[in-house]
Amino acid sequence: MNEIIVSMENICKAFPGVKALDHVKFELRSGEVMALLGENGAGKSTLMKVLSGVYTRDEGSLEIFGKEYGDLTPKQAQEAGVAIIHQELNMCRHLSVAENMFLGREISKGLSLNNTKMEAEAKKILDDLKIDIDPRQTVGDLPVSKQQMVEIAKALSINAKILIMDEPTSSLTAREIEDLFRIIKKLKSEGKGIVYISHRLEELQHIVDRVTIMRDGQYITSMDFGAVTMEQIISYMVGREIKEKFPRVECKKGKKVFEVKNLNAGKMVRNINFSVYEGEIVGFAGLMGAGRTETTRAIFGVDPKESGEIYVDDKEVEIKCPMDAIKNGVVLAPEDRKKDGLCTKLSIRHNLALPNLDIVCDKLGIINNAKETELCDKAVRELRIKTPSIDVDSGNLSGGNQQKVVVGKWLARDSRVVIFDEPTRGIDVGAKVEIYNLMNELKKQGIAVMFVSSEMPEVMGIADRIIVMCDGRITGEVMAKDTSQNEILTLATTFEDKKINSQSGKEEV
Amino acid sequence: MNNTKQSPIKKLLAVKGMGAALTAFVGLIIIYIAFGLINSVVFSGNNILNLLRSMSKYLLIGIAQSYVLITGNIDLSIGSVVAMSAMISATLMTMGVNPLLATLIALICCLVVGVVNGILVGKFKLPPFIATLGTMFVGRGIAYIVNNNRNTDAIATGIGKEAGDSFQNFFYYGTTFGIYNTFWIAIVVFVIFFFLLSKTRTGRHIYAIGSNIDAAKLSGVNVVATTTKTYLVSAACSWVVGLILCAQAGMGNMEAGNMYEMYGVAAGVIGGVSPLGGTGILLGTLAGAAVWQTLENGLNMIGAQVGIQRIVIGVIVVGAVLLEVVIRSGQFSKKKKG
Repeated sequence: MNEIIVSMENICKAFPGVKALDHVKFELRSGEVMALLGENGAGKSTLMKVLSGVYTRDEGSLEIFGKEYGDLTPKQAQEAGVAIIHQELNMCRHLSVAENMFLGREISKGLSLNNTKMEAEAKKILDDLKIDIDPRQTVGDLPVSKQQMVEIAKALSINAKILIMDEPTSSLTAREIEDLFRIIKKLKSEGKGIVYISHRLEELQHIVDRVTIMRDGQYITSMDFGAVTMEQIISYMVGREIKEKFPRVECKKGKKVFEVKNLNAGKMVRNINFSVYEGEIVGFAGLMGAGRTETTRAIFGVDPKESGEIYVDDKEVEIKCPMDAIKNGVVLAPEDRKKDGLCTKLSIRHNLALPNLDIVCDKLGIINNAKETELCDKAVRELRIKTPSIDVDSGNLSGGNQQKVVVGKWLARDSRVVIFDEPTRGIDVGAKVEIYNLMNELKKQGIAVMFVSSEMPEVMGIADRIIVMCDGRITGEVMAKDTSQNEILTLATTFEDKKINSQSGKEEV
Repeated sequence: MNNTKQSPIKKLLAVKGMGAALTAFVGLIIIYIAFGLINSVVFSGNNILNLLRSMSKYLLIGIAQSYVLITGNIDLSIGSVVAMSAMISATLMTMGVNPLLATLIALICCLVVGVVNGILVGKFKLPPFIATLGTMFVGRGIAYIVNNNRNTDAIATGIGKEAGDSFQNFFYYGTTFGIYNTFWIAIVVFVIFFFLLSKTRTGRHIYAIGSNIDAAKLSGVNVVATTTKTYLVSAACSWVVGLILCAQAGMGNMEAGNMYEMYGVAAGVIGGVSPLGGTGILLGTLAGAAVWQTLENGLNMIGAQVGIQRIVIGVIVVGAVLLEVVIRSGQFSKKKKG
């Protein structure tokens, strides 16, 4: 144990126009959890892609278990025991758990597949990890957390000794994170080396042994986790001190801007009533699957509504599709940026201009190039999107910068209501603060801001008023000033009768 | 952000899809010169004129298919719409209907197919391959039924020799500034749709849908309307090709436009239009159509059999895409082979 199993020195990697890695050093020992930290675009993912053979390094040396690899291929990396658990899970949704785990190395009996054997082996590995999943289940039917565990199990089944986890907790609930940590600790005790990439610094203390910090493609430092404070880590990552983690501005509450009455849309949006006033940010808290995203989608006209009225500036508006919403000054920065937010094959320019074409086009629908450039440059400047040019494909940007493009799309308009759905998921501290500042700026301008977030400290730090949802209903409303995490959590778990009973039953035990 | 300081050439290259289009143009020049060296007739003025005329058809169906491909869909009904256009207008003309009215009626019929495609794919979310496979059969069936399962007589029998000649000259045999009208018609259509795709709101919506339909929807893009527009463009271009074929033969042929939908895919793909949607420019389609026609023409000139021609064209289509894939993956891992 504690021998060095990965050693990378002076690794360089350049992409057209960007130097992604600049003489980076990285070391991993067996039986440790190494946190790889840095802002978005710092080069963490690129470095790990070099380690797993996805990218070939331009310069530098790379040793795995003492063996020097020149141009590492993904296959060699796999044979050496390197496995990545991706941020976006790489699973065949229609196949079963066992089929996924044995994909590409199926066990056969004569000409046909030996399903019994594969299922038994899959079961054994899952049991070892104390994961309760039936190997015959279809992966697409499992919740994200379970899919992730299947991916970990798959890595172990091919004898992985070095596990790279990229933002493994970003879509997990507190409960599921605990499960994950249990598994990580178990792997650690078996002498596996684990690289842990995460933006949620507060969770590191539970599992991390050492940290390596990167910034702008460069190696900054590495040390024992116990030897540093959070503030130091953040300042290493950002290169500047971030004073306020949650900047707050006080505004006077003005008149009512936005009101939703008796909104119903399927099981996850039931009888929703709320309003938002000038000069306030209303947070939407709740557990995963509480119906917050569904509510925003129903308001924005993506999903059909069964009933309900929506008022903007005391005037009732009819929203049947996103276009109606936009025309009435209601905009939504959606939750899943890869799926709903961004056209990754198109340039930043095309993305930023997409919902604003009515502004940059003349009456005939012809695009005014100068106007468009001005609009895009302004968004890039104000949001500090890091890019050499607005004509770069948005798919080439780092996660945080992609998120800024998604948000930036909506700033050029005179909107009355801006809905942010998990705007800070998976992005770094610096970019988070920029998004917070932006919300505060909107608040100051008298725009109604709805802020959906699953991270409790963030909601409490930024929102003025918090609406808590559970199971498709609003279960409470509290002022951020005089509430506690406990109170919100209690409201967020206020299920309807049936479930309350079973819960109180549990409490008695 | 020094966009203003870029040289014009750099700026041109920065246009997305320009690289593939220019590669196709370079390929075109090489192919043309190579055939010319084998048989100098290829370089003759007469041949160039013929080339320009015959490539026009491919350019038009290339535009038709490219619009649909960029949204990530496909239109298999193009060939059938070409036949409908030729058969309906020719049948009406043999009945003595004024050519202008006859072609307009044909246009309306073609656009109906476009709308049906758009609604099936855009609104009802049918896989475009299936939806347009259906309209392909229906369209061809209509082309058969129009004149009772027969090709039409010469159009001159209905509208008279003079009107028939002027129709044929306008679309096929006549020249303007020494170049066949067919080419000018194709160029006008090209300029209009090039502009629509690259400079207008609708064009942006088309790319956005092809790149990420969910994100486009959430950005307020009307997916049904935009998808329908692409199929309408496709139908309109096919209509023009139908008229050209009708003028060329002087009659309506039920088998007109057979396989054209696939020629359209080929022209687009050679020029860098991705069948997966989101990328490609019409300049590429122009180059692709020219490559296609130059090949056909050149192989003819050097006396290759039809079988050989088909094989060469098949290899070129796959080769063009293969080349692009290799170049693109090469950017990311320069020394993969080591």
